[in-house]
Amino acid sequence: MDSYLLPLWISCKTVLVTTAITFILGIAVARWMARYSGKYKGMIDGIFILPLVLPPTVVGFGLLMLFGKNGPLGEFLSLFDMTVVFSWPATVIAAVIMTFPLMYMSARAGFEQVDVNIENAARTLGASEWRVFWTITMPAARPAIMAATVLAFARALGEFGATLMLAGNIPGKTTTIPVAIYFNIQAGHTDKAMVLVFIVLAISFVSLAALTYWKLKIPAKP
Amino acid sequence: MLEVNIKKKLPGFDLEVAFSADSGIMAMLGPSGSGKTMTLQCVAGLTQVDEGYINLNGEVLLDTSRKIDIRPQVRRVGFVFQNYALFPHLTVRDNIAYGIRHLEKAESDGIITRLMENMHIASLGHRFPSQLSAGQQQRVALARAIAPEPRVLLLDEPFSALDAVVKESLEIELLSLQQFYKGIIILVTHNFAEGYRMSSKMAIYESGRIAQCGDKGKIVGSPANLTVAGLMGFKNLLVGTVSQIIGQDLYLEVPGLSLFKIRLPEQMQLAVGMRLTLGIRSEFVRVSAAAEENSLPGVVSGVINEVASTRCFFSAGANLQYTFEAFLPPPADASLKVGSRLNFCFPTEHLVVVGQAGETAQTGSLAG
Repeated sequence: MDSYLLPLWISCKTVLVTTAITFILGIAVARWMARYSGKYKGMIDGIFILPLVLPPTVVGFGLLMLFGKNGPLGEFLSLFDMTVVFSWPATVIAAVIMTFPLMYMSARAGFEQVDVNIENAARTLGASEWRVFWTITMPAARPAIMAATVLAFARALGEFGATLMLAGNIPGKTTTIPVAIYFNIQAGHTDKAMVLVFIVLAISFVSLAALTYWKLKIPAKP
Repeated sequence: MLEVNIKKKLPGFDLEVAFSADSGIMAMLGPSGSGKTMTLQCVAGLTQVDEGYINLNGEVLLDTSRKIDIRPQVRRVGFVFQNYALFPHLTVRDNIAYGIRHLEKAESDGIITRLMENMHIASLGHRFPSQLSAGQQQRVALARAIAPEPRVLLLDEPFSALDAVVKESLEIELLSLQQFYKGIIILVTHNFAEGYRMSSKMAIYESGRIAQCGDKGKIVGSPANLTVAGLMGFKNLLVGTVSQIIGQDLYLEVPGLSLFKIRLPEQMQLAVGMRLTLGIRSEFVRVSAAAEENSLPGVVSGVINEVASTRCFFSAGANLQYTFEAFLPPPADASLKVGSRLNFCFPTEHLVVVGQAGETAQTGSLAG
């Protein structure tokens, strides 16, 4: 039984923490970029979207270089006796990097679709930028934000390539469901793999329903 | 009083305007894209200017020379956007309450209820903007902007999206708004008749500049240039030279037509030989018996029957080279048809001098 429960447990932790971090980071950066009109906007946008375009194993490789024994962040963290490679936090780091572009792009599109007049109206009525964001922009962009979150969640659940590179396959510690599926097939335990596949399928269908629901609520472009 | 003097470079033209406005309604009139909305946005602080000064009731809102730029949140300038910009996720009541949330609930509730009654939207409190008609949305937008008692109320083409019937009743409501809103109201519109109806003072925009600003009667009585004249509805122009000035009368000789007499306008340096352009609204052109003052024989070239008037085009001049337009009462008989030869009259009292008409002015009906 624990060959199902353990990966399920690891994935649960990873996906929830990842979604929370990506949610906050994605919205914050999307908000900044939606308003930013500097010279380098296109370039910065490109950097944020990069993990979406690169093969996950390449991203994983990059992360390994960064956090590995001889990498800059790896050396810095070892001063505090912390290693990222092959630890559970690595699953979160890999998943956040891979899901961030999705959250960022969708949230930014959502913010840019909000009628600037309603934000301006709020300003003339005395609302500070903070209050405009929380009481006007976010509610108006809610369907887009929710759709983005579901997307990020689903992506985090299915994250494999980068996770395997950085976190490895340590059952009970870093083996997420996708990794467990792969290694079960490798070891010939097709039946175990199938159970895990069904679990993921079930969660995916629910996600798809939620995603469709929210996407339908996004107002059509005028 | 609101004093504005701003400059802003824009793609296409440079905005450079200076004006002042007092309590009451001032209309900003001009073609789309001439800078009216941009001016409102600058007054509200929603858009930056390159250079400028804005003073509202003694408080300096903007002074680029001293690096003062008060943010829109505290300028106390109310704004009604062209598309109303109601908050779609809030009810009508919450929309109106948005600007006064810092007040005690009892007080803000009282303000909102009173406003909703005055604006005839008392029963709509729990509805959402998507459930309102355009006229209702506009009233909510107005109530929301007035609730925090702004010192200036800026209305950006508030009536442009409404059909004629709703527009009429809302115009009357806006006028009666002044019973409980005593601040300065600036109304932007591209519709001259509407601007004239609603305001006491007007500013006429032309490519980022104000061509003429002042009491509406003065503008209609002496338009500063061709654009203003055109906007004011002076469809017919007479371009000629001053041939005589006798006492209070001035005679203009228009090539190919006769002499036209007008009263000598005050405050204008006019001399014999000067080139002058006169304008007259189509409504004031009459059919007359022959040999009246300012009459000209013409041949009817087009007739359009409107509900309560007849729009008539006629050619005049030695070679019938000029075409003019007249709005006449519906003909009692069938005398008004293409080809009819009639005497038309441009009454002295309705001819106005168009200032700075320039070289492009031509006798005849303004195109359009």
